[in-house]
Amino acid sequence: MRMVLCLSATLLVLVGSAAASAADDRTFDRVVPAQPRGVVELSNVSGKIEVSGWDRSEVSVHAELGSSVERVEVSSEGGRTSIKVLLPHSSGQGGEAELKVKVPKESEVDVSAVSADVTTTTVLGVQRLSTVSGDVGAELGGGDLELKTVSGDVRLKGHGQPARLHVSTVSGDVHLEHGAGDLEASTVNGTLTMSLDSARSVRARTTSGDLRFVGKLSRGGEFEATSVSGDLNVRASADGGFAYEVSSFSGEISDCFNAHPERASQYGPGTRLEGTRGEGAGRMRLKTMSGDVQLCDRP
Amino acid sequence: MTGPSDTEPRKVTTLRELPQSIEPSHDLWPSIEARLSGVSAERADADGTVTWRRRAVRMRWLAAAAMLACVATGVWIGRSLLPGPQGNGTPLTAETRATGESPPGRTAAHGIYVSDPRYEHERAELVRTLEARLAALPPPAQAKVRASLASIEKAKADLEQALGRDPSNALLQELLVNTYQDEMRVLTDVHEASEPGRGI
Repeated sequence: MRMVLCLSATLLVLVGSAAASAADDRTFDRVVPAQPRGVVELSNVSGKIEVSGWDRSEVSVHAELGSSVERVEVSSEGGRTSIKVLLPHSSGQGGEAELKVKVPKESEVDVSAVSADVTTTTVLGVQRLSTVSGDVGAELGGGDLELKTVSGDVRLKGHGQPARLHVSTVSGDVHLEHGAGDLEASTVNGTLTMSLDSARSVRARTTSGDLRFVGKLSRGGEFEATSVSGDLNVRASADGGFAYEVSSFSGEISDCFNAHPERASQYGPGTRLEGTRGEGAGRMRLKTMSGDVQLCDRP
Repeated sequence: MTGPSDTEPRKVTTLRELPQSIEPSHDLWPSIEARLSGVSAERADADGTVTWRRRAVRMRWLAAAAMLACVATGVWIGRSLLPGPQGNGTPLTAETRATGESPPGRTAAHGIYVSDPRYEHERAELVRTLEARLAALPPPAQAKVRASLASIEKAKADLEQALGRDPSNALLQELLVNTYQDEMRVLTDVHEASEPGRGI
């Protein structure tokens, strides 16, 4: 009986250490030197990608790999660092990997994913982020942003530093806080919820999704939003005011400054609201077919 | 027997007994002149009426000709520009000319607003491979993309219906063109997202 117990205990220890060893094999860690303002490219099909900026001139990669992931490939050459999660050729989708990557904070970051969720923090350089169905959460550090998703949702958080922001989704929702500078955003049936502390230009477009904007236009700033059936709700103040032109074919137009929409044409349908707030330095254009429009000159 | 009295009219027996001239009791010329002027005015009125009638007739013919021209132009537009159910109105693209059918997702106003052959070619190629590309996407993304494409189709149909009511509406035309661009963007994004080894 004692023999059996001893054998069982030995077997358990063996199995446990083998499992621990196998688990160790599925993590990946590597640090490579990098230029402070170099380019870091990352690609991962499924799982997660977390990128954060730090003060060192090197790129650190920590990955936890699913069983069907073949390996992680890291290369660094001429100011360009590449990190790829590779799947076996026979593998379909589902090879999950969770990547945690630290990059020099002024790096340009280029991320490509399919269903992996992407998060970036404290990156000050340009960010190019694209996913198919993965969600994206990015902190805006003053560098330009180019972001595309098909069905993933997007959350962006800025600190009021001006940048060029270009965001497009097919069905994902976009939520932007404390942006600044130039924004171009489009979605088909996602919702655009945007707040900009100081906008030089905003161009936003939806098909059936709703748009909500709260913020401030800088002097001479331009705002243009269009939708087919989505509602447009814009609350924007502006240094120097703005001239506004709102038109809707069959939706309702309302405002918070007691202006009255008029018929767009004597013989056809449609309403239009035109006028000026303040000096009229900026320009505001809102157009929709059947969506309702609400315009206010204060956030 | 009574003799002839002063009150009885005197009988004229010879021509010499008649007076040589008889003076009217008042000047008749003013009334004659007035009557003559009235006659010429009436004649003038009559002439004017004739001219006006002639003009009216001519105008009627011109209006009829204009109507005919409008109808002819409408028929020409209907036959050569607007797509019809028999495909007789879709000759703006080589593709539809060849097949006589509208490709999937193609709507009535497509040919009017889109006529660039390169665009036509690329769009047709993207539509042709759409199902295969969608199948390569993760299942949740597939469903969402299909919903988005359905939204675009509905938007196009709604815009075209509205344009049917107000064909010259610049707002609707702009929104329709935007929607075509959005459709192309979605098709391109799906195509790129489904390529192995590439992101969107």
